[in-house]
Amino acid sequence: MANFWRNPLFGWGVERAEEQTPTNEYRPPQEPWDATTGAKVEMLPVGRLRRYYKWPGHGGWTWNRKRYWPTRRRVLNIRGEYNPKTLRREKTIADKRPIWWVLAFIFLAIAPWIMPLDYQSTLLTAGATFAIYASVNLVWMLIIGTAGIFSLATYAVVGAAAFGTAWLSINYGLPWYVLPFIGAAVGLVFGVIIAIPATRLDGFYYALLTLGLNELCRVYALTSKVFGSSTGGLYGASSYIPDSWDDLNQSRLAYFACVALMIAALILFRFVNGKRIGRILRMAPEKREAFAEATGVNFRQARILVFVVSSVALGFIGGFYTAHYRGVSFSIFSFDTVLLGVAMLVIGGIGRAEGAVAGAAIVIFLDKALISLGPIRLILIGLIMLGVVLFLNGGLFGIKPQFRAWREKKKSERRSTRAEKGGEMLPEEATETRDKDLIYWRRYDKMQRDYLKKLVSPALIAEHSRCPLGQHSEALERLLLYFRRAPLSDKYAIIAVEPFKAYRIVALSGQRGVAPRIVEEKTYASQEEAYHGVFMRRVQDLLES
Amino acid sequence: MAQVKLFGYASKISIKPAETLEFHVNADGTTLAQAQLVRLIHGDQHPSGPGFVEEEIACEANGEWVVRKQYTQLGSFLQVADPQARLALEGSLTLCAFVYSSLPLAGLRQALVGRWHNQRNFGYCLGITQQGHLEFWVGQGDQVDYVQTEVPLLPDMWYFVAASFDATTGRATVHQESVANRYNSLLGRVSPIDYRSHVSEVFRFRQKHLPDTPFLMAGSRDWHETRGEFVSQTFCGKLDRPAVFDRALGWDELALLMKGEVPTGNGLVAYWDTSAGYTDQGIGDTVIDTGPHGLHAEGYNRPVRGQTGWNWNGRNDCFRLAPHEYGGIEFHYEVMISSNWEVTRSVTLPANLKSGAYAMRLRAGDGRGLGEEYIVFFVRPLKPKAPIAFLFPTASYLAYANEHLSFDAQIIQPMTGQPPIVTDIDIEMYKNKEFGLSTYDAWEDGNGVCYSSYHRPIVNMRPKHRISSMGITWQFPADLSIVAWLEHKGYDYEVLTDEDLHREGVAALAPYRCVLSGTHPEYYSEQMLDATEDYIAGGGRYVYMGGNGYYWNVAFRPAEPWIMEVRKLDSGMRAWNARPGEHYLATTGQKSGLWKNLGRPPQKMVGVGFIAEGFETSRPYRRMPDSYHRTVDWIMKGVEGEMIGTSGLAYGGAAGIELDRYDLSLGTPPHARILASSGGHSDNYLLAIEEILYPYPGLSGSQDYRIRGDMVYFSAPNNGAVFCGGSIAFGQALPADGFKNNVSTVLGNIVDAFIQPGRLPGAFWVNNEKQWR
Repeated sequence: MANFWRNPLFGWGVERAEEQTPTNEYRPPQEPWDATTGAKVEMLPVGRLRRYYKWPGHGGWTWNRKRYWPTRRRVLNIRGEYNPKTLRREKTIADKRPIWWVLAFIFLAIAPWIMPLDYQSTLLTAGATFAIYASVNLVWMLIIGTAGIFSLATYAVVGAAAFGTAWLSINYGLPWYVLPFIGAAVGLVFGVIIAIPATRLDGFYYALLTLGLNELCRVYALTSKVFGSSTGGLYGASSYIPDSWDDLNQSRLAYFACVALMIAALILFRFVNGKRIGRILRMAPEKREAFAEATGVNFRQARILVFVVSSVALGFIGGFYTAHYRGVSFSIFSFDTVLLGVAMLVIGGIGRAEGAVAGAAIVIFLDKALISLGPIRLILIGLIMLGVVLFLNGGLFGIKPQFRAWREKKKSERRSTRAEKGGEMLPEEATETRDKDLIYWRRYDKMQRDYLKKLVSPALIAEHSRCPLGQHSEALERLLLYFRRAPLSDKYAIIAVEPFKAYRIVALSGQRGVAPRIVEEKTYASQEEAYHGVFMRRVQDLLES
Repeated sequence: MAQVKLFGYASKISIKPAETLEFHVNADGTTLAQAQLVRLIHGDQHPSGPGFVEEEIACEANGEWVVRKQYTQLGSFLQVADPQARLALEGSLTLCAFVYSSLPLAGLRQALVGRWHNQRNFGYCLGITQQGHLEFWVGQGDQVDYVQTEVPLLPDMWYFVAASFDATTGRATVHQESVANRYNSLLGRVSPIDYRSHVSEVFRFRQKHLPDTPFLMAGSRDWHETRGEFVSQTFCGKLDRPAVFDRALGWDELALLMKGEVPTGNGLVAYWDTSAGYTDQGIGDTVIDTGPHGLHAEGYNRPVRGQTGWNWNGRNDCFRLAPHEYGGIEFHYEVMISSNWEVTRSVTLPANLKSGAYAMRLRAGDGRGLGEEYIVFFVRPLKPKAPIAFLFPTASYLAYANEHLSFDAQIIQPMTGQPPIVTDIDIEMYKNKEFGLSTYDAWEDGNGVCYSSYHRPIVNMRPKHRISSMGITWQFPADLSIVAWLEHKGYDYEVLTDEDLHREGVAALAPYRCVLSGTHPEYYSEQMLDATEDYIAGGGRYVYMGGNGYYWNVAFRPAEPWIMEVRKLDSGMRAWNARPGEHYLATTGQKSGLWKNLGRPPQKMVGVGFIAEGFETSRPYRRMPDSYHRTVDWIMKGVEGEMIGTSGLAYGGAAGIELDRYDLSLGTPPHARILASSGGHSDNYLLAIEEILYPYPGLSGSQDYRIRGDMVYFSAPNNGAVFCGGSIAFGQALPADGFKNNVSTVLGNIVDAFIQPGRLPGAFWVNNEKQWR
C-alpha cells in the first residue's frame, strides 16, 4: 500500500502543492549506523617504521652550510621538515649519492693495497680496464642516456682515434702526452660526421647506421696494411708507463692513470648531463622532438653539441688507450666489444653515471677477474643482462624506485580486497590523511549514501519530475539536500545554451580558473527539464556508488 | 580564429549629460568593435515579462572603435618611491620584517621585501620558495645565489624573519623565529613545534642592480615582451614593520628587533612603520618610512591596512585603540581591485540625454555572448526637475560584482535549493582571475574579500545577466524591472546612484517628492543611511522596493568612490568571517558588520528588516486586516480579492528571495501598518542568522510564522511617508502580465499619492478627512 505525505503548504494554496503525495514508507536514518557495527572488514595495525635515520633539526643554532667550491652546490642535499606524525624537526639527506661516490673513490684509492697479493696484477689490470671502459661508458651515456639516441658508433670513434694516434706515434715518434689530444682531434672529425644524421634519422635506423660505421672501421683496419692487418693491430706506440719501473709499480701507475681518466669522464658527464644542455636533451628524447620544438627548445643544436663534445672526449680516450696499451688491436671494433659495452650500460641502468660505472665494474669483474672460469663467464654476463632486461626497468640503480612502486601497488591491491566499495577509510589510508576530519566525513558520507540509496523509488522520481523546485516530501527532500551539499568538484550544474530555450548539463571543476565540462550531449528545452535531468544523473551516481 | 571577447568598464558610474566619460575596453580576437549608446529599459529576458528592452541613442561615439588586448596586474604589493636609489645596496645589507604567511605552499615563489628584477636576475630579495621555505637571494644578472631556512614557514603564524649579507666575507644568513602569542596566530603553545631556523652560507658574488628596478614589498619586478613591466611573485599573507640596513646585523642585534625594539641609527636605511599615520578616520595607501630618508611606500590593489600585527595581544579590537598592535598589512597574490587599463575612448555624452540607466553597447564577432558587452553607467539630470527619483543601489552592485558563488561556494546549492544555471560569460569570468572577486568570495588563502571596485569589467552589472546560482535576475538587471514599470506608467522620473547619495547626502534626495529604492539595497554607508533617514524625516516619501536592505555598514574613500570596503563579521548572512580583531573598516575607522548590530536596524528607518531568505519559490501577499482601515485603504484601490502578486519574474510571485518583516522590538514605528503579508513559504526559506540565538528544528518556512514578507506603510514627519514592498521579488513582479497586475496597482496608488504635494491621504486622521473618506 502506498504511503502518502501531506504537503504543509497545501493549505496556503501554493501552486503545484498536492494535498497528499505518494511517497516511501518511513525508514529510520540510523539503519546504516546499526548495520555498520556488523561490518567484517579486518582492521590491521598500521604505522610504518622509519627506514632511514632522520637527523634532528638545528633549532636555535646557526647551521653553516658548506658548498663545493667554486659552485653554489651544497655538499649534501638535505631536506628539513616537520614530521607529520610527531611534529619533530627532521633532516633527511635527500640525495645520498655523493656519500656513495666518496666511499667508492676511497675504495678505488686504497684498492691496490688491500688486494690479495696472488691476484694483484690481474686485479690491477682489470681495474685499469674497468676504468677505461667506465670512461667510455660515461661518455656514451651522454648520447644514449641524456640525449636518448641509440648510437653504437662509440667504439668506432675510440678505435679510430686509437689507430690514428698509434700510427702517428709509431711512424713519427709522437710522445705519449700528445696522443690524447690528437685523438680528440680525430674524435672531433668523427663527431661531426655522426652528428649530422642523428638530427634526421631515428631509433633503429640510426643504430644500424652507426653499427655499419663501426663495422666499416673494423673491415678497413683489418684489410689495411698500414694499420697492421698482418700483426692484428698496431703496437709500439709511446706510453706514459716508464719501462724502467717494476711490473707492480707499472700496474699501479696504469691503474691510477685510468682511474684519473674515469674521474675526468665523470666530471664531463656532470657538466653535460647536469647543466642546461642536459636538461634540453632530456626534454627532447626521440619521438618527443616536436613537443620540445613547440616549446621553443632548440634540440638540434643541443644534439650536435653533445655529439661533438662526446666524440672529442671519446677521441681523447682513444688517444689515452694507445698511450696505455702502447697500441691497439682490431678487437676494439669487434661486435662483441659493442655488445659488452651495451651490457654494461643496461645492467647499470641507462641515464645514470653510477649505472655506467657500476655496470662496467660488474662486467669487467666477470670478464677479466674471473678469467679462470673460462667461456662460462660470458654466459653469466648474458644471463645477468637477460635478467636485468626482463625484470628491471632502470637497471641495477632502478631497483629502489621499482621496488617501492611494486610495494605500493601490492599494498593498494591488498587494501582494495578488504575495502567495501565506496566505503570509509581503512587505517592505512587514514593515517596518511593530513586532515583527520576527512576520515569522519568519509564515514558519514558512506552512512548517508547507504541510507539514501534505499529511499530512491519511482514515487520520488515522479514527485521530482512534477515539481523540481519547492516543497517536497520528507524522503525526496533528504535526497535533494544530500545532492546539493556534495563537494564542488564534479558537481552537476546547468549551462544556458540559449536562455529559456536550450540548456545542457555540465560538471563544475571545483578548482578556480578551470571551466566546467559538458557531461552529456542532451539538450533540455526548459529549466525544469534540466533540473530534473540533473536530479536523474545524481540519482544514478548515487545508486552506482 | 581566436574567440572574440569584449569586456570593459567606464571611469565613472554616475555622470551628467554633456560630461565626458572614459571607457576602458579589453578585446580578444578582434581589433574593432561596434559601439552604440543605448538607454536600458528592461533587463530580464524572462518570458513572462516584456523581455529585454533598450533604446538606441544618437551619440558622437557610435560606430567603430579600435580596441585591443589589455593586461591586468594581479596581486597587492607596496612600491617604494626611491628616486635616489638609496635601496640599491651593492654591499652588505640586512632585511628584516614580521611576516604571517597565509599560503606558504601557494605553488609559486613569493617575494617579501627586496629590490629584485625577476626576468633579469638583478638585485636582492627575501622571499618564500615554492616549498614554503624562507629564502634570501642575490643576483648579478647571469647568476643567482641563495640561502634558505631549514624548515618551511607554517601557515597563519607570525614570524620574525631576517636576512643579513656581509659583502666582505660573502656570508649570508637567514633567520626565522616565531613571535606567536596566545592570540595572534593559528597554533597555540601546546603544539610541539620548533619554529626557529638560522642558516648561513657563503655567497660567490655580490649583488648588482639595474638603475630602475623598484624596491617592492610583497612582489618583485618582472617584464614581458608584449606586456612590458609588471609585478610578479606576489605574496599571500601579512607583513609588519619591515626594515633595511646597509650593514650585516648579527643575531644579537636582530633579536632586539624581534622583541619589538624600534630600529635606529647605525646603518638603518629604511624602516617602514606600518602602524604610523593611522588616523581616527581611517588609513590610506601610503606606508610611512620613519627611517632617515623617508622612503614611503605606496600600496597597489589596496593591501588591507590596519590588520592585527605580530604584537596584537587580544585586548584591543581596533587600530584606533592601539595602532602599534595593528601594523599588519594583508596581501593576496591574486587580488584584483582595479583593472587600471588604458583608456580606449573618451566619450562626451549628448547634452540632451534623459536621466536613466545607459550603457555603451559594444559588439564584435557574432555580437552575442562573449562578443557583446554592455558598459553600464547612470546619467543624472543636469538639474533635478522630476518629482520621482529612482535610486540605483550601486554600492550593493559592487558587493556582488563578479561573484563566484556557483563555482566556489559549496553551500550555494543547499542554500538556493537548485543547481546553478551558468552562461559562457560566467565561465569566462571564472576562468580568468583578471575579473577579480566580489565580497561574497574568498581569496585563494581562504580570507574574505573586503574591497570591491567598479574600475573593472563587472559581468553581473549588465542587462540580461541572470545570477547563476539562483536562476533569476539579481541587482542591476532586476532593478531595471522597476525602471521599465516607471517607463510603462509614463511617470516623470530621474535616476540617482548610491555614489551620489554618499557624496551629497540628503541634498541628493531633497529635490524629489518620491524616491524609490532598488530591489536589494543591502550595502549602506553611514552617510547614505543618514541621508535617507533625514530625507524621510524631512518630509520625503520613500518607497523601499526591496528586501534585506540597509544591512551592511560599508565605507568609501572620498577620493576613490569606486572602491567599497566591507568587513563581514560575527553575525548576519555572510560569506566569510573577518578574523578576530579585524572588524573595523580601514577606510573610515568605523566598525563594519550589520547596521542592526550598530544600533540602526532597518526597521528603525523603513519599518521592516531582513527576516528570512529562500530561493526556489516565491509567494503572493495576502491583505492584512489593517489595510482596510480608511487611513490606508486608498493604497488598495483597484485591488480585487485578497491576494497581491500571484505572478512575477522571480519564481512567479511578489514575495520571495529575501523577505523583510515588521518588528516593534527593532524599532518599527509604532503606528506602522502591515498592509499585506506573504505566507506559505517552503522550507528552503530559513530564518536569518542574526535572528537566531539558539538554533532548533523548525526555523523554516513551513514551520515559523516569522518567515514572511510584510508590506508596510507609515507616515513620517512633515508629510513624509514610507512604503515597503517587503521582499526582493516585489520589484520583479511589476512587469508580469504586461504590467497589468495588482502589485503594479498598489505601487501605482502609492506613487500617485507620493508625488502630490501637501498632505498625504489619511495622514493625520483628522475630522474633515474622516468626512470626505
